[in-house]
Amino acid sequence: MQLMSKLLAGLAALMLAGPAAADGIERAAIVMPGSISDNGWNQAGFEGLTKAGEALGFEAAFSESVHQPEQIEVLSDYARRGYDLVIGHGGEFQDAVERVAARFPETMFMVNNGLGTKDNIANADFYFSQIAYLMGYVAGSMSDTGTIGIIAAQQFKFTTDTVAGYEAGAKAANPDVRVLVTWTGDWDDIAKGKEAALNQISQGADVVWPTMDSATLGSMQAVQEKGVYGIGIYRDAINEWPEILQSAILDVRGNMRSYLELAAAGKLEGALYRADMGNELAMRIGSFHPDIPVGVVDEVNKLIDAMKSGTLVVNPQ
Amino acid sequence: MIDLVLLGDVLAGTARLGTPIAFAALGGVIAERGGLYNIGLEGQILAGALGAAAGSFATGSAVIGLGCGIICGLISGLLLGYMSVRLRINQLVGGIALNLLLAGLTAFLSRQIFGAQAGGARVKGFSQIDIPFLSDLPVVGPSLFSQDPLFYLLIGLAIAAWFWLMKSHKGLDLRAVGENPKAADLAGVPVFRMQYLAIAVSGALAALAGVHLVLSQVYVFAEGMSAGKGFIALAAIILGRWSPIGAICAALFFGFCDAVQFKLQFTSPEIPYQLFLILPYLASLIALVVLGAKASAPASVGLPYDREHR
Repeated sequence: MQLMSKLLAGLAALMLAGPAAADGIERAAIVMPGSISDNGWNQAGFEGLTKAGEALGFEAAFSESVHQPEQIEVLSDYARRGYDLVIGHGGEFQDAVERVAARFPETMFMVNNGLGTKDNIANADFYFSQIAYLMGYVAGSMSDTGTIGIIAAQQFKFTTDTVAGYEAGAKAANPDVRVLVTWTGDWDDIAKGKEAALNQISQGADVVWPTMDSATLGSMQAVQEKGVYGIGIYRDAINEWPEILQSAILDVRGNMRSYLELAAAGKLEGALYRADMGNELAMRIGSFHPDIPVGVVDEVNKLIDAMKSGTLVVNPQ
Repeated sequence: MIDLVLLGDVLAGTARLGTPIAFAALGGVIAERGGLYNIGLEGQILAGALGAAAGSFATGSAVIGLGCGIICGLISGLLLGYMSVRLRINQLVGGIALNLLLAGLTAFLSRQIFGAQAGGARVKGFSQIDIPFLSDLPVVGPSLFSQDPLFYLLIGLAIAAWFWLMKSHKGLDLRAVGENPKAADLAGVPVFRMQYLAIAVSGALAALAGVHLVLSQVYVFAEGMSAGKGFIALAAIILGRWSPIGAICAALFFGFCDAVQFKLQFTSPEIPYQLFLILPYLASLIALVVLGAKASAPASVGLPYDREHR
């Protein structure tokens, strides 16, 4: 598959005889850890680049299912062949990108959810605690018992920021609120996801926010059985689960589109591009549950405005 | 009184988390007693889960879903049997190959069957059954006697498997095949037929673990939803000393540790959660070390039987 994509990219390069944009990028490539049809992270990366390439007029190539030992080889190959922008899709590419970027100073590198920038290494991620604050505010406002829950798989920046933002938002809505945090240790174990939610509900939680991958399905099943509210993540989850109060939409495609537009205009720098509530393409809230009173909806919209204007700063940033 | 409620919660959680592991472990015991490693439990759980979801999705009947799940398990078991018994390939490699095959195949087929709905295609499942009188008991009533039908099926199958394996003539034949296939063959036991039977039943039991996940717990199929339960079941087999009852007790013990760790996260938030997550593994490690001195694995497990070989 990797070879195939290389051949295709090479063929496309041969056919592209005409001159392209002078200062922006002509060719960009993305290197991904998994399959482009995983209905998740990798598919988002693939579509994010190819669709932006069509719209903005640069040529896009990809390599899928590239594992740790092959990262350097694949990344250098694109750089050697003159790609202007090479994207490592995921924090696990950080080390490989740093090594390759040192050898190809003319090439721009990007690490999605990266962990450090240099002159020719850019990073892109999300202001997780900001959107989690809004979810916490909704949950805190809608809880009758004064207890809400959040379930996460493993502790790292994404989850700890999300938990911190959720707690801060809930306390802003109701200073006496009790926030239960459960760590399941597994992104996909549905049975554990359900058990964690059942435990929170039996402790009195009446709003539960599961933030795992497949395991979220188990938690939402418990939410539905026990007749409490849930919070969604990544997409507008109320379309799948009517118990969802509000969703934190983290749009990888949108986030990539934002920095690729900069790249196409020749303005991409070795900096951190963090999507916040001001970048609706990448990060936004979903639909409000009909049970949520108008007053709370207004408050949330005010909070979003305050975040955009910078008067409300959520930590950790 | 609070403690009694807590205890009831933990018992109910034990039953929910332990049941899938117990089904898979029971399947593993049957196969290993017949001299075959079933490393493919993990994949067979997925096969059973997909079969159950597809059957129930297509017909709207949980019972037909159960049947489809079992059939998928039987087929995957026979496939492993063909590799292990007929082709005599390394049983560990064969099992891992089956896991990889079924992980990919179930993901592919689920997209074909459920399409874009994938995670959201709700299917009809079993509801819990309250056993008269017993379900009214305090603490244990709501947790153990108002479970889904598959939990009762597990208890029934465990007793039946124990009786068949330990008390029946056929069970003795199977155990003989696992200990010394040559001697069993000389005594007129149809070794290959017994092994095919054992591995097919093993696959069906592992599939029941997947059926339980789909039809009793979450009512949807999700890629990779087995989440390592097939591998934990392998540990339960050893901890249970290759006995059907022992393996199920070990599986429920793993479920108990998991259920307890969710409670401990609330009562002791100052302790790092990772400590609670390793609790089941730590407990099984200690148990294995304490009990490990007396090895009681079937003598010929994992060794392909070749009639021509002296």
